[in-house]
Amino acid sequence: MKTFKIVSIIGFIGFATISCSPERAAIVQGKSGVQLWSETCMRCHNTPSPADFNDADWSTIEMHMRVRANLTADESKKIFDFLRSAN
Amino acid sequence: MKRIILPILAMFFVGNIIAQQDLKPSKTQFMIRGYGSAGFQSLNDEGEKESSFNSGTFAPIMLFKFSDKFMFETEMEFAYENGELETALEYADVMYILNDYMTIRAGKFLLPFGTFMERLHPSWINKLSSVPLGFGHDGIVPSSGVGVELRGTFTVSGSKFNYAVYSTNGPKLNDGSMDPDEAGILHFDNYEDNNKNKSLGGRIGYLPFTDSSTEIGFSFLNSKVGNTESDYEKIGAKLIAYDFSFIKKVNPLAGIIDIKAQYNKSLVDDAEYFEPLDGGGFEEYTFNNTSNSFYAQLSYKPTMSASNFLKNIELVGRYSELNTPEGAEWESNVKQTAFGINYWLSWRSALKVNYQITDGTGGHGGGGIDKKLFTIQWAFGI
Ligand code: HEC
Repeated sequence: MKTFKIVSIIGFIGFATISCSPERAAIVQGKSGVQLWSETCMRCHNTPSPADFNDADWSTIEMHMRVRANLTADESKKIFDFLRSAN
Repeated sequence: MKRIILPILAMFFVGNIIAQQDLKPSKTQFMIRGYGSAGFQSLNDEGEKESSFNSGTFAPIMLFKFSDKFMFETEMEFAYENGELETALEYADVMYILNDYMTIRAGKFLLPFGTFMERLHPSWINKLSSVPLGFGHDGIVPSSGVGVELRGTFTVSGSKFNYAVYSTNGPKLNDGSMDPDEAGILHFDNYEDNNKNKSLGGRIGYLPFTDSSTEIGFSFLNSKVGNTESDYEKIGAKLIAYDFSFIKKVNPLAGIIDIKAQYNKSLVDDAEYFEPLDGGGFEEYTFNNTSNSFYAQLSYKPTMSASNFLKNIELVGRYSELNTPEGAEWESNVKQTAFGINYWLSWRSALKVNYQITDGTGGHGGGGIDKKLFTIQWAFGI
């Protein structure tokens, strides 16, 4: 169990270091609201369409989901700006 | 409790209707959402058959947004059981966004212990009509807690991390003085603390890929669990969980593949418990109080199909198991396999047809478990 723990911790740190790179940061930064919407919401449930709610409701949901789903400030702004612009 | 909750609920509904008639935009936003379910089940318990319709549950959620940083969320649950209306407060907490990386929550909140209870248990999200072994009633995992929590997220060069740390009243040890059959079990629903010690728990989640398709998480919860001024005062418990999630649109399969898994382990310090003997008196005994549970679920939805019918179909399979301590009155080793076909009527409403086989030893009767359950559930978000 101890060896398993040590190996998994080292593996985790190694993996984390490899997967973090400036190019990848630029990819994430460059994502549009539509793209983030199609990738993010389905992590937990089916993806709602922009027309499902009005602007006021989307902004309440924005805060609820930002906290519940641990969305970054940038992600949630882009996604919900898109949802409000397309409903 | 019911006498208080029902009028409050009625007030909120009326308030909402009045608020909607007033067309001036209001700074405080209020929303009622939630979910419910209704269904039919047919059970074959070691050859004994029974079947019934069940009215299921209704769980209204109210969200109050006071500003861009400040919000209150609450969920109540209503269920009709044994001819009586049962009510429960699932959560009621305030949250305040401190900055882009940190939010504070206080009150009764769903615990980020793994991901199932916090993210996946509502009936319109859960792809099967039952919860995996180890969760819910008779579970070994906490679902909510009363306390405070800091949570947030940050990115390190393209990889996302999220975290939560919380302190709550913590689990409570059943020392068997009231119900000897449950000696050694942890109870998680504690509005009031049974000791001065507060639990400390947390979770760290890591999304290695830029498309957020994969997340791995580790959670822990440490607490003293015995009653103050009892022989069990010093007894502590350590709980850990690992969770995994992968979800992606896979073009060659013309649909979405979704994998979810969680492993939970609970370690409670050794203690002496007492078993009442038939002729009066007690026998002292102890056991290694370690439990674990695991589930893995795979589902597939052919979202890219040309057929409107097939597009909304989803196939699900789930395996789960629960092992409670050898030597305990509640010792059990149970395995469960569940299959389902869902038809999604909307993004938040599904007709689920499930078949579930549970077998093993232990449980309340103490003997063998051999259950086959067929259910049809209509789950809907409102
Ligand atoms: C980490 C998991 C997770 C992610 C990611 C997520 N949600 Fe949710 N969402 C939930 C849960 C859990 C609920 C149910 C809340 C409850 O029952 O307490 C919910 C509920 C909702 C609701 C119903 C109203 C409400 O606020 O309860 C909407 C609308 C919603 N989500 C939209 C979204 C959108 C849009 C996204 C993508 C940006 C998203 N969600 C991403 C977990 C998630």
